[in-house]
Amino acid sequence: MNRKTVALAFAGASLFAIAAAQAAEVTVWCWDPNFNVAIMKQAGEIYAKTHPDFKLNVVDFAKADLEQKLQTGLASGVADGMPDIVLIEDYGAQKYLQSFPDSFAPLSDKVDYSGFADYKVKLATLDGKVYSMPFDSGVAGMFYRKDMITAAGYTPADMQDLTWDKYVEIGKAVEAKTGKKMMGFDPNDGGLVRVLMQSAGGWYFDKDGKLSVEGNVALKGALDVIQKIQVNNIFRPAAGWADWVGSFTSGEVATVVTGVWITGTVKSQADQSGKWGVAPLPKLSVEGATHYSNLGGSSWYVLSGSKAKDESIDFLNEIYAKDINFYQKILVDRGAVGSLLAARNGEAYKSNDAFFGGEPIWQNFSDWLAKVPSVNYGTFTNEVDSVVSAHQPDLAKGTSVDDVLKAIDAQAQTLVQ
Amino acid sequence: MSAISTRPKRPRFDVNGWLFVGPALALIAIFMVFPILHSLWMSFQSGLGMRLSFAGLKNIYRLFNDPLFFMALTNTFIFFLVQVPVMLTLALITAALLNNPDIKFRGVLRTAIFLPCVTSLVAYTVLFKSMFVANGLVNTVLINLGIVNVGIPWMTDPFWCRVMIIIAITWRWTGYNMIFYLAAMQNIDRSVYEAARIDGVPTWARFVSLTVPMLKPVILFTTVTSTIGTLQLFDEVSTITGGGSAGGAAGPGNSALTLSLYIYNLTFKFAPNLGYAATVSYVIVVLVAVLSFLQFYAARERKA
Repeated sequence: MNRKTVALAFAGASLFAIAAAQAAEVTVWCWDPNFNVAIMKQAGEIYAKTHPDFKLNVVDFAKADLEQKLQTGLASGVADGMPDIVLIEDYGAQKYLQSFPDSFAPLSDKVDYSGFADYKVKLATLDGKVYSMPFDSGVAGMFYRKDMITAAGYTPADMQDLTWDKYVEIGKAVEAKTGKKMMGFDPNDGGLVRVLMQSAGGWYFDKDGKLSVEGNVALKGALDVIQKIQVNNIFRPAAGWADWVGSFTSGEVATVVTGVWITGTVKSQADQSGKWGVAPLPKLSVEGATHYSNLGGSSWYVLSGSKAKDESIDFLNEIYAKDINFYQKILVDRGAVGSLLAARNGEAYKSNDAFFGGEPIWQNFSDWLAKVPSVNYGTFTNEVDSVVSAHQPDLAKGTSVDDVLKAIDAQAQTLVQ
Repeated sequence: MSAISTRPKRPRFDVNGWLFVGPALALIAIFMVFPILHSLWMSFQSGLGMRLSFAGLKNIYRLFNDPLFFMALTNTFIFFLVQVPVMLTLALITAALLNNPDIKFRGVLRTAIFLPCVTSLVAYTVLFKSMFVANGLVNTVLINLGIVNVGIPWMTDPFWCRVMIIIAITWRWTGYNMIFYLAAMQNIDRSVYEAARIDGVPTWARFVSLTVPMLKPVILFTTVTSTIGTLQLFDEVSTITGGGSAGGAAGPGNSALTLSLYIYNLTFKFAPNLGYAATVSYVIVVLVAVLSFLQFYAARERKA
């Protein structure tokens, strides 16, 4: 059946169908029904109050499926069947922008980017144009069990300004006193390396997007810590995401070093209420090291082939760039920390969380958010990440960090082209 | 004789005949021949996403300088060389045992052994993953039985990770191959065995010298299909070792990175280089062709 017959069939079925076809419908692809999907639906409801014609169709995919579908669709060069707005993880932003030029609509003429966290804007900038509506932040922190740290002879105050060396030391004390490990760690996952590296303002690539492995101070510092964690055996090995989550929800580890989006999962264990605290990241001992970093996070992109392009851009701009109340709502309902800095002046961000012993964790996270070093994620983050992850077991065997860097460099060179 | 000679000669081009096969041929041309040829053409191109340009033999050059490709190739061959013989031997033995009419509950046992291969690939790999994690069922049982003192690092050690995947595929596919052997065994004339028994040939010798040679065509068939299956191994390694964020390694030290998984990564996980991915996929084509030819050659009928 071709398109015409389909249209005729619909038209014949009811007059209502014709009326509906005239109203603009914006289709969104994103993943995670409890987070991105739900938040996008909330945004659509708010926008529809002032724009009665507006219709939003949020399609829920698994993240890997979405990426596969998007990548196939863009490669085919056909705009049919593609969404108007799509969610892309920040690490992949440049990959899409550079691999599929002119497929995404630049938003810099319409959106005021000065209010967003700087690093979120830079990662979606190509040739002076910004393509994304920055969304959730992956600002990183260290969640820790106050009861276990205290049992090991330390105080929550000790946790606020740590170095990673001190962290390893505390880890040994925690195991000696409580029998618990310091963190859950999946040797096949490069997430922690990325957190550590970015905290010192480094990435797998330099500012020009060129591969930078050997001689990369931040990466070397990060791998050094990964080696110390493994050699001192202060971690509980995890196989994949679910197992890693299980390491702290079941109370087997004393800390969780990751992005702010894990807060909801940590809080899911009501019986652990009051036992948790949140501190800034421990610091690497290299030049340029800070206590602030990022893991994950994603942003919205409008496809340039979209039939409802202007409406999509206006919708994103109205809600995600201006509506402070919306950000309070998604923080309370979903634990989502947006990257619009003005949002932190709202009520919800000032609240204290009893689960974390009354700490103003949202205020803290948004303070840290503004200080996350901006780095160039480049086009090939996933490639190098897979190579780095594959070499983490070597570090456990005691291979020197310099040798591992050399091996990573050799493998990454062929992938990055 | 005369009836045959008076029959009108068939025209070389029969319109009706071609009309009948035409739609099928057209579909095959569009969905089989064209993609195959197009991917061959793509393997001479390089670039990110849509920005493909002709690159000549650059992809082949890259192939030979790509440590990850060789790692994927090595892993694939380890799986192939270890898993296929183990699985086929197991399938042959179980088939022989279950073909014995004296065994009770043969039907139940056959079903039980065949059952794994009707389960969904993803469902069973997720199950295996949860069984083999550090404090999962397998380690708990092994420790409680006193076979090992410390849990085996299935998920974090390259060697044990490969062992786990081989166990998984063997569990999934043994029953499938067993069914072929069983079917073939039922076609063997019982009188052959009776004659052998009367001649005093012991059971194991009947199996080795009678059953196995008579099953040769089926053994060849299962070997070829298993070879192709193992060279295309994807679902298991992807599900068991995947799930990491962003890039993530395919198993500890990329120990479970197979050619198919590498092609998938090049196309969907990494910055899409469709040209290079097409080149790697042609490696599988060549390997399957060569290995199948070798197997047919080794099992050819030798005229005395």
